[in-house]
Amino acid sequence: MAWALKARRLGRVYRWRGGQNVALRDVDLEVPAGSVLGLIGRNGAGKTTFIRIGSTSLLPTSGALEVLGRDVVAEAPAIRRRIAVIPQESRPFYWMTPRELVRYYLRLRGHSGREASRRAQEALNELGLSAWSETLVSRLSGGLRRRAMVAMVMASDAEILFLDEPTTGLDPLARRSVWEAIRRAAESHRTIFLTTHYLEEAEYLSDRLALLERGQLLAQGTPRDLSARVRYPFRVMVESGFSREELESYGRVSSVGTRLFLFTDEDRAQEVAREGLARGARLHLGPVSLEDIFVQIVGREISEDEGEGGEGGVGVGAS
Amino acid sequence: MASAWERLRSIGALVGLNGFLPMRRQPLFLVNTLTSPFSFLFLYFIVEKAAGNTHLFPYAIAGGLILTVLSIGTSLQADLTHYKQDLKFQEIVVASPVGAASYVTGMALSELVYSIPGLAVFIILSVLYAHYAAFGGLTVLLALLLLWVFASALGFTLSTYLEDVRETFAISPLVSIALSVIPPVYYPITVIPGAWRWVALLSPTTWAANLVQGAMGLPAPSLGPDPYLLDATVLLAWAVALFLLAWTKAQWRER
Repeated sequence: MAWALKARRLGRVYRWRGGQNVALRDVDLEVPAGSVLGLIGRNGAGKTTFIRIGSTSLLPTSGALEVLGRDVVAEAPAIRRRIAVIPQESRPFYWMTPRELVRYYLRLRGHSGREASRRAQEALNELGLSAWSETLVSRLSGGLRRRAMVAMVMASDAEILFLDEPTTGLDPLARRSVWEAIRRAAESHRTIFLTTHYLEEAEYLSDRLALLERGQLLAQGTPRDLSARVRYPFRVMVESGFSREELESYGRVSSVGTRLFLFTDEDRAQEVAREGLARGARLHLGPVSLEDIFVQIVGREISEDEGEGGEGGVGVGAS
Repeated sequence: MASAWERLRSIGALVGLNGFLPMRRQPLFLVNTLTSPFSFLFLYFIVEKAAGNTHLFPYAIAGGLILTVLSIGTSLQADLTHYKQDLKFQEIVVASPVGAASYVTGMALSELVYSIPGLAVFIILSVLYAHYAAFGGLTVLLALLLLWVFASALGFTLSTYLEDVRETFAISPLVSIALSVIPPVYYPITVIPGAWRWVALLSPTTWAANLVQGAMGLPAPSLGPDPYLLDATVLLAWAVALFLLAWTKAQWRER
């Protein structure tokens, strides 16, 4: 298998006078070429640090990272023409139009004027920006500006696209147009390295997921692999018909408002469903979502670190 | 590695996106670069008119030329800091075939675009008020070119260390005063008492000013055995030193 990205014990420590922050710790990660990897984690988990090292703007302090078979420290210039990045919180120049933004970016990367214009038009169409292509960025909404940034890198000929929270601030429809563009880019065998806080986005787009917490890689694999790692792969949302005490005999229970959430295995979920039917209870049953998996894995990690029994809150999978 | 043609395209794109485009959309940017040099010129004009003489006015023209080029460095520093910290543009450029040298060259040229009207006015004034020596025009161009390299390298290096654009508000005036107001840029070095001239010689702009003043036919002392050769050599050394500093110390990639 060809790897687009291969990290070996990758580490990064930010040091300043009187302190330091370990942003990445011994991360081993492999991303097959032509796939979409969703890097998920809480704020400060190390996602952006990883993207910045991969896109060659930050040096690691330990370990190694190969991008397209080249070392990011020693062979950065050879990597750079084959990658493109949208950094977190990046913004376009306010005095440009989306068309100018994309076109100038492509000229910057060495494309001819004609090629840049053609690619810019295609990318603007793809991101649904044609109607705003001649409007100054200063007059565009935050969501349209973000889409213009996405159009910029999509228009490039980069083999790997590093997208650091590309859909933050977008409305649901705009987000979907970005998703479609990302999927199409993946279908044309480009590798997408994506960070996001929207877990449904990661689930929808990613062939593989990697979960970072406090600089450490807690889990990686396909969404199915991650599901297999959690103790309770099924979730039952109960609106009526059961008390919390009754449900606790089936598995782990948490509540949001008046709703109870039971995390359990498949057999017990079916048992609750049968009992619920007999009682005329209102409940919904299904496999856990990525969000549930995230909470279970990260919650367990936090609980273990804090020496708690996993009671309440995020410590769902600890008991 | 990018080919020479691709590098030229990259530099051209940077000149367009940071020079011509914003200038077209917001012409006030142009006026901004002219304010400081022309303020000094205006002040000299008024004060000398009141005093009834004009013998220092040509020095203000020479100083205006130098300050206009020096402003390229301070503007570059502010722009690059803003683009790096607020827009994350440097990270976007790093992850592309564009190298640091092309980036700085393109951005420094784009800042030069803003300065062209100011430089043109000062050059016309210098022709009207000064008496150029033989090859004086070429000497002035050489001095301004070396100063442009120095100022651009300084601006780029500083920008890679600053963490917020607000820091440029504090640093730019300091750099400007230290390099253009205090040293003998707007006045001849002979005004400074002999015992203190060595302090002025620490500034590269002193050498640039002496070179420009001499080329414009203004009384400027020869600071070496050959008139102005030492000026040009020291200025070249400063430009090379700052270029090397930018090459080795600027954080194109965060360490």
